[in-house]
Amino acid sequence: MDSFGGALGGGDPKSQIMRQVQQEAAMQNARMLVEKLNEHCFDRCVPKPGASLSKGEEGCFTACMEKYMSAWNTVSKTYVARIQKESQSGAALSNTF
Amino acid sequence: MSGPLANVDVSKLSDRDKQELQQFVVNESQKARIQSSIHSLTDVCFKKCIPAGGVKNGKLDKYEEPCVRQCVDRFLDANLVVLRELERLRG
Repeated sequence: MDSFGGALGGGDPKSQIMRQVQQEAAMQNARMLVEKLNEHCFDRCVPKPGASLSKGEEGCFTACMEKYMSAWNTVSKTYVARIQKESQSGAALSNTF
Repeated sequence: MSGPLANVDVSKLSDRDKQELQQFVVNESQKARIQSSIHSLTDVCFKKCIPAGGVKNGKLDKYEEPCVRQCVDRFLDANLVVLRELERLRG
Protein backbone atom coordinates (compact mmCIF):
# COMPACT_ATOMS: atom_id res chain seq x y z
CA MET A 1 0.00 0.00 0.00
CA ASP A 2 1.59 3.25 -1.13
CA SER A 3 -0.06 5.39 1.52
CA PHE A 4 1.24 3.39 4.44
CA GLY A 5 4.35 5.48 5.06
CA GLY A 6 2.26 8.64 4.93
CA ALA A 7 -0.34 7.16 7.22
CA LEU A 8 2.28 6.61 9.87
CA GLY A 9 3.87 10.01 9.52
CA GLY A 10 0.67 12.02 9.57
CA GLY A 11 1.29 14.10 6.45
CA ASP A 12 -1.38 14.72 3.86
CA PRO A 13 -5.14 14.95 4.56
CA LYS A 14 -5.93 11.69 2.79
CA SER A 15 -3.61 9.65 5.00
CA GLN A 16 -4.90 11.50 8.04
CA ILE A 17 -8.44 10.43 7.26
CA MET A 18 -7.39 6.86 6.56
CA ARG A 19 -5.50 6.64 9.80
CA GLN A 20 -8.39 8.06 11.75
CA VAL A 21 -10.82 5.58 10.20
CA GLN A 22 -8.52 2.67 11.02
CA GLN A 23 -8.04 3.86 14.57
CA GLU A 24 -11.78 4.14 15.10
CA ALA A 25 -12.28 0.65 13.73
CA ALA A 26 -9.57 -0.80 15.98
CA MET A 27 -11.01 1.04 18.96
CA GLN A 28 -14.52 -0.21 18.26
CA ASN A 29 -13.20 -3.74 17.89
CA ALA A 30 -11.32 -3.59 21.19
CA ARG A 31 -14.30 -2.07 22.99
CA MET A 32 -16.56 -4.84 21.72
CA LEU A 33 -14.10 -7.53 22.81
CA VAL A 34 -13.77 -6.08 26.31
CA GLU A 35 -17.52 -5.78 26.67
CA LYS A 36 -18.25 -9.38 25.61
CA LEU A 37 -15.35 -10.73 27.59
CA ASN A 38 -16.46 -9.05 30.76
CA GLU A 39 -20.05 -10.12 30.25
CA HIS A 40 -19.21 -13.81 29.78
CA CYS A 41 -16.47 -14.07 32.36
CA PHE A 42 -18.35 -12.16 35.03
CA ASP A 43 -21.25 -14.49 34.52
CA ARG A 44 -19.03 -17.55 34.97
CA CYS A 45 -16.49 -16.39 37.50
CA VAL A 46 -18.58 -14.29 39.89
CA PRO A 47 -21.83 -16.18 40.42
CA LYS A 48 -22.40 -14.52 43.79
CA PRO A 49 -20.65 -11.14 44.09
CA GLY A 50 -19.01 -10.83 47.50
CA ALA A 51 -17.47 -7.90 49.37
CA SER A 52 -14.41 -8.06 47.12
CA LEU A 53 -13.06 -10.06 44.20
CA SER A 54 -11.54 -13.24 45.66
CA LYS A 55 -8.25 -14.79 44.53
CA GLY A 56 -10.22 -17.66 43.04
CA GLU A 57 -12.46 -15.33 41.09
CA GLU A 58 -9.47 -13.43 39.79
CA GLY A 59 -7.80 -16.65 38.65
CA CYS A 60 -11.01 -17.68 36.95
CA PHE A 61 -11.16 -14.33 35.19
CA THR A 62 -7.61 -14.62 33.86
CA ALA A 63 -8.28 -18.12 32.51
CA CYS A 64 -11.66 -17.09 31.13
CA MET A 65 -10.18 -14.09 29.30
CA GLU A 66 -7.55 -16.26 27.69
CA LYS A 67 -10.15 -18.81 26.69
CA TYR A 68 -12.50 -16.20 25.26
CA MET A 69 -9.73 -14.72 23.16
CA SER A 70 -8.73 -18.18 21.91
CA ALA A 71 -12.35 -18.78 20.98
CA TRP A 72 -12.43 -15.41 19.20
CA ASN A 73 -9.36 -16.35 17.17
CA THR A 74 -10.79 -19.76 16.28
CA VAL A 75 -14.09 -18.19 15.22
CA SER A 76 -12.25 -15.59 13.19
CA LYS A 77 -10.17 -18.21 11.32
CA THR A 78 -13.17 -20.46 10.68
CA TYR A 79 -15.43 -17.62 9.58
CA VAL A 80 -12.90 -16.05 7.23
CA ALA A 81 -12.13 -19.47 5.70
CA ARG A 82 -15.84 -19.99 5.18
CA ILE A 83 -16.35 -16.60 3.53
CA GLN A 84 -13.45 -17.31 1.20
CA LYS A 85 -14.84 -20.72 0.32
CA GLU A 86 -18.33 -19.35 -0.31
CA SER A 87 -17.13 -16.45 -2.40
CA GLN A 88 -15.17 -18.84 -4.59
CA SER A 89 -18.17 -21.08 -5.09
CA GLY A 90 -20.34 -18.02 -5.76
CA ALA A 91 -22.73 -18.37 -2.83
CA ALA A 92 -24.20 -15.16 -1.46
CA LEU A 93 -23.66 -15.89 2.21
CA SER A 94 -20.98 -13.32 2.92
CA ASN A 95 -23.37 -10.53 1.97
CA THR A 96 -26.13 -11.67 4.20
CA PHE A 97 -24.44 -12.33 7.49
CA MET B 1 -15.02 12.02 18.39
CA SER B 2 -12.88 15.13 18.28
CA GLY B 3 -9.98 13.71 16.32
CA PRO B 4 -7.66 15.30 13.78
CA LEU B 5 -10.43 14.94 11.20
CA ALA B 6 -11.79 18.30 12.30
CA ASN B 7 -8.71 19.96 10.77
CA VAL B 8 -8.98 18.24 7.41
CA ASP B 9 -10.58 20.20 4.61
CA VAL B 10 -12.12 17.52 2.46
CA SER B 11 -12.91 19.92 -0.35
CA LYS B 12 -9.18 20.41 -0.93
CA LEU B 13 -8.69 16.76 -1.84
CA SER B 14 -8.01 15.88 -5.45
CA ASP B 15 -10.55 13.79 -7.34
CA ARG B 16 -8.11 10.91 -7.33
CA ASP B 17 -7.71 11.13 -3.55
CA LYS B 18 -11.47 11.29 -3.10
CA GLN B 19 -11.93 8.21 -5.20
CA GLU B 20 -9.23 6.39 -3.30
CA LEU B 21 -10.81 7.38 0.00
CA GLN B 22 -14.20 6.20 -1.12
CA GLN B 23 -12.82 2.78 -2.00
CA PHE B 24 -10.92 2.73 1.29
CA VAL B 25 -14.10 3.40 3.27
CA VAL B 26 -15.99 0.70 1.36
CA ASN B 27 -13.25 -1.79 2.23
CA GLU B 28 -13.08 -0.72 5.86
CA SER B 29 -16.86 -1.01 6.25
CA GLN B 30 -16.72 -4.53 4.86
CA LYS B 31 -13.99 -5.37 7.36
CA ALA B 32 -15.99 -3.83 10.20
CA ARG B 33 -19.05 -5.89 9.25
CA ILE B 34 -17.01 -9.08 9.26
CA GLN B 35 -15.50 -8.24 12.63
CA SER B 36 -18.90 -7.53 14.07
CA SER B 37 -20.07 -10.96 12.86
CA ILE B 38 -17.02 -12.55 14.49
CA HIS B 39 -17.98 -10.92 17.79
CA SER B 40 -21.55 -12.19 17.70
CA LEU B 41 -20.45 -15.68 16.58
CA THR B 42 -17.93 -15.85 19.42
CA ASP B 43 -20.69 -14.78 21.78
CA VAL B 44 -22.98 -17.61 20.62
CA CYS B 45 -20.32 -20.30 20.39
CA PHE B 46 -18.57 -19.53 23.66
CA LYS B 47 -21.89 -20.00 25.41
CA LYS B 48 -22.52 -23.29 23.62
CA CYS B 49 -19.07 -24.85 23.70
CA ILE B 50 -17.54 -23.84 27.02
CA PRO B 51 -19.30 -25.65 29.87
CA ALA B 52 -21.17 -23.47 32.34
CA GLY B 53 -19.43 -22.53 35.58
CA GLY B 54 -15.94 -21.39 36.44
CA VAL B 55 -13.02 -21.55 34.00
CA LYS B 56 -9.89 -23.33 35.22
CA ASN B 57 -7.76 -23.44 32.11
CA GLY B 58 -7.14 -20.65 29.62
CA LYS B 59 -6.51 -22.91 26.63
CA LEU B 60 -9.33 -24.34 24.55
CA ASP B 61 -9.27 -28.09 25.22
CA LYS B 62 -9.64 -30.88 22.66
CA TYR B 63 -13.44 -30.81 22.89
CA GLU B 64 -13.91 -27.06 22.97
CA GLU B 65 -11.79 -26.17 19.96
CA PRO B 66 -13.59 -28.41 17.44
CA CYS B 67 -16.90 -27.44 19.04
CA VAL B 68 -16.23 -23.76 18.34
CA ARG B 69 -15.26 -24.48 14.74
CA GLN B 70 -18.33 -26.61 14.14
CA CYS B 71 -20.51 -24.08 15.91
CA VAL B 72 -19.46 -21.40 13.42
CA ASP B 73 -20.00 -23.62 10.40
CA ARG B 74 -23.36 -24.97 11.57
CA PHE B 75 -24.57 -21.49 12.51
CA LEU B 76 -23.83 -20.32 8.99
CA ASP B 77 -25.50 -23.43 7.54
CA ALA B 78 -28.56 -22.67 9.63
CA ASN B 79 -28.48 -19.10 8.38
CA LEU B 80 -28.54 -20.40 4.82
CA VAL B 81 -31.50 -22.67 5.59
CA VAL B 82 -33.43 -19.66 6.91
CA LEU B 83 -32.62 -17.62 3.82
CA ARG B 84 -33.55 -20.43 1.49
CA GLU B 85 -36.84 -21.00 3.27
CA LEU B 86 -37.70 -17.30 3.17
CA GLU B 87 -36.84 -17.25 -0.50
CA ARG B 88 -39.17 -20.21 -1.06
CA LEU B 89 -42.02 -18.58 0.84
CA ARG B 90 -41.63 -15.42 -1.15
CA GLY B 91 -41.45 -17.08 -4.54
